[in-house]
Amino acid sequence: MNFTSIGIPALDEHLGGGIHKGSTVLVMGSPGSGTEFFAKQFASTGREAVTYFTSTERDEDVLSVMREYGWRTDMKIINVGTKYYERVLAKKLEISRFRQEGITLGDIRKFKEGDAAKEENFLTFLAYEISKLNPPFRVVINSLDFFLENYESPEVLMAMRTIKAHTQHSESVTLMTMLKGVHESRIQSSIEDLSDVIIELDREKVGHEFKKYIIVQKVRNRPSQVGIIPAVYDKTGIRPAQAP
Amino acid sequence: MVAKTAERDRCVTGVEGLDTILYGGIPRSNTVLLTGSCGTGKTSLALEFLMHGAVKDENSLFVSVTENSEKLLQNIIPYKFFDKSLIKSGRLVFVDMPVMYERLGLTKAELSMEEIELLVNSLASLAKELQTKRLVIDSITSVCYKLKTSEKIRDFILKLSKALSDLGCTSILVGEVTADSASYSTFGVEEAIADGIILMANMERRGDLLRTLQVIKMRGTMHSRAKYVLDLTPVGVLLVPLLKGGSTG
Repeated sequence: MNFTSIGIPALDEHLGGGIHKGSTVLVMGSPGSGTEFFAKQFASTGREAVTYFTSTERDEDVLSVMREYGWRTDMKIINVGTKYYERVLAKKLEISRFRQEGITLGDIRKFKEGDAAKEENFLTFLAYEISKLNPPFRVVINSLDFFLENYESPEVLMAMRTIKAHTQHSESVTLMTMLKGVHESRIQSSIEDLSDVIIELDREKVGHEFKKYIIVQKVRNRPSQVGIIPAVYDKTGIRPAQAP
Repeated sequence: MVAKTAERDRCVTGVEGLDTILYGGIPRSNTVLLTGSCGTGKTSLALEFLMHGAVKDENSLFVSVTENSEKLLQNIIPYKFFDKSLIKSGRLVFVDMPVMYERLGLTKAELSMEEIELLVNSLASLAKELQTKRLVIDSITSVCYKLKTSEKIRDFILKLSKALSDLGCTSILVGEVTADSASYSTFGVEEAIADGIILMANMERRGDLLRTLQVIKMRGTMHSRAKYVLDLTPVGVLLVPLLKGGSTG
């Protein structure tokens, strides 16, 4: 069996049985389109051990959504956002205070070697954490936007290629989310290029309602699988409105 | 009509010989560039200047840029007149510039104009808090490497001198130059702005490497421009005029 689930059984059917083991999945959409929600649904399935990297939510936010839908939550959450807050933002806040109020001798004396902690590279951290996982693993990176905002695009691409290769060789699965249309088109194309499966979540305003779609943009080596699938959001999550 | 100039108050360095060369000391509030190649005794002289100040109840501040100040203190020449209690009482304070950089988030390789102003203000506010009367920055050249352009260096030194001078603080900025440098400073700008320049050098004479000191310029006082030989001893720096006769060895 070469397939594993994308997290939504009906969508697996549309994809001809699921996603290939070793796939890197990109989920794109505009803000509010449900990419994070999709990511959680992805994290709740499969036989692989799940690791969920988040840069936007607190751990309890992730878990409470998943519990609300009755999804499995036996996964490891690595909160890059919290780490970023502690290491970078809190330090920036402190710096702005010193810049505003000036430094006293006391402030200088209070400084300890550890405070000078070299700026942590979260991209390296992400790649390193993934490299340590026991395969087969199921990884969620929510979201790529955090890394694209904080690091040079070639650096991000390099890290993503490494993660993709590792996912492929270990027959695992990785899903990453990315906002659509906010990054330079070259970088977006490069990310799309390295992804094996691209899902776009879209909606259309019809009258007073949104019509929602799961757009399968790309399935590597299976071009016939691409298509626009009307979607519904209900108490089970996101799913295709009809069976294929 | 006889021109009458008010004699400026002096900051007596306490360094044997230097006060004589300067006719009584560095004019108070001056910013002096103490420059020379490595191993010429700049740091020792600057420290001695501060220690004599601290002994005379003038608050003194050493801003260490290149070397960790704790390490510096361990390697300090055990001067007879140096009393460690001066550090405890806060008369003599050592501060590491890298810590200030960290605190202010000035960790980029090149500082912007705005950040330069921030650094000057922070140094000045520290000097104000500590009521510093004597200040040494060792070395200013290391700070200049973060400024890169001569416009920024000029801006930094001018603003810093002004701020420290307003506080009545007499300052020594230690500069590093290479031994064969024709200029008194690495960037060529520092020397033009300082109120005074003291040049220290190594000189080989009959197989001995002598340390020499020469006051090149000092605003606000007359001074000798002769070259002196400098000796670092446990009682401090000793300066004697360089004898010219019979020295063509």
